[in-house]
Amino acid sequence: MADFTWTTRSPLQQAVIAGRHGAAIAKAGIRLSEIRDFDLVQVFARRGQWAATAKAAKAYFGVAAPTGPKAVTGKKGVLVWSGADQFMALSPRLGTIQPVDGLRGVFEGFASLSDQSDGRCLIRLSGPRVREMLAKVNSLDLHDGVFPIGAAATTSIDHTAVNLWRDADAPDGSPVFNVLVFSSFADSLWHTLVDSAAEYGIEVETVSIAVD
Amino acid sequence: MRIACPFCGERENGEFTYLGDAKPKRPAMVAIDGGAGAPGEAEAFYDYVYLRDNFAGEMSEYWYHGGGCRSWLVIERNTLTHDIKSVRAAPGAGAAKAGAK
Ligand SMILES: [Zn+2]
Repeated sequence: MADFTWTTRSPLQQAVIAGRHGAAIAKAGIRLSEIRDFDLVQVFARRGQWAATAKAAKAYFGVAAPTGPKAVTGKKGVLVWSGADQFMALSPRLGTIQPVDGLRGVFEGFASLSDQSDGRCLIRLSGPRVREMLAKVNSLDLHDGVFPIGAAATTSIDHTAVNLWRDADAPDGSPVFNVLVFSSFADSLWHTLVDSAAEYGIEVETVSIAVD
Repeated sequence: MRIACPFCGERENGEFTYLGDAKPKRPAMVAIDGGAGAPGEAEAFYDYVYLRDNFAGEMSEYWYHGGGCRSWLVIERNTLTHDIKSVRAAPGAGAAKAGAK
């Protein structure tokens, strides 16, 4: 019988080509990165158990779980609101333990967990023209006064469902937006993003956040 | 038209899908629910499933925030002006709300 070697491979492996793309402008207006090697667990409070779920999240992550459209950073990861009584816990891939196993004891009895680590791709968008570029494909008002650092939304980009949240600004002062998208839509969404960013000039990179 | 989702905030209506009148309530269908059936219940059920009023004015409607938080909402809307009077989560939306004492 043939032996198989299974190699982990991002659904964006082929789409993401590091380097400069689009318009040849001295400073790229858009920076696009694929963030790889994360653990992602969807946490759903069971009926009437949100208070207990939030308390457990606070004890484990060191930060209050978001009760509205926000993303908060704790010592063990980022908690991204994803709807009523639910959030996604994003953290660097440990590799030594299944993501759900690490949280089972924390939420046992009052929340349901679902491993989404390989179910989503994480795309980070930044650069001085990033708001103009996102305005083409998403209907949210991403102005600083409406969508500050830490704001999150479940929304659509080019009719594809995404979790979108704003991270701390980049060193050059540009806003940073993170997008979680279903793996099977990632390739299509990436190309849409590249097309909308092309006129501003794009710098593409991949970033691994695995724990060594 | 923009809809203020109680969970997400104000969004464009393209993120939502429309179901229809939120008023009709499922009548008892004794014949299906395990009983012998009652006179007129088939007609009442037919009415519930198929017959809808065509409102010109204010009505309450089910909308689904499929392009956002995937919650069902009940919206009071004027079908002539698209003015929205209220938006609330449909019963059952949000586990904590539904289970809260
Ligand atoms: Zn919503």
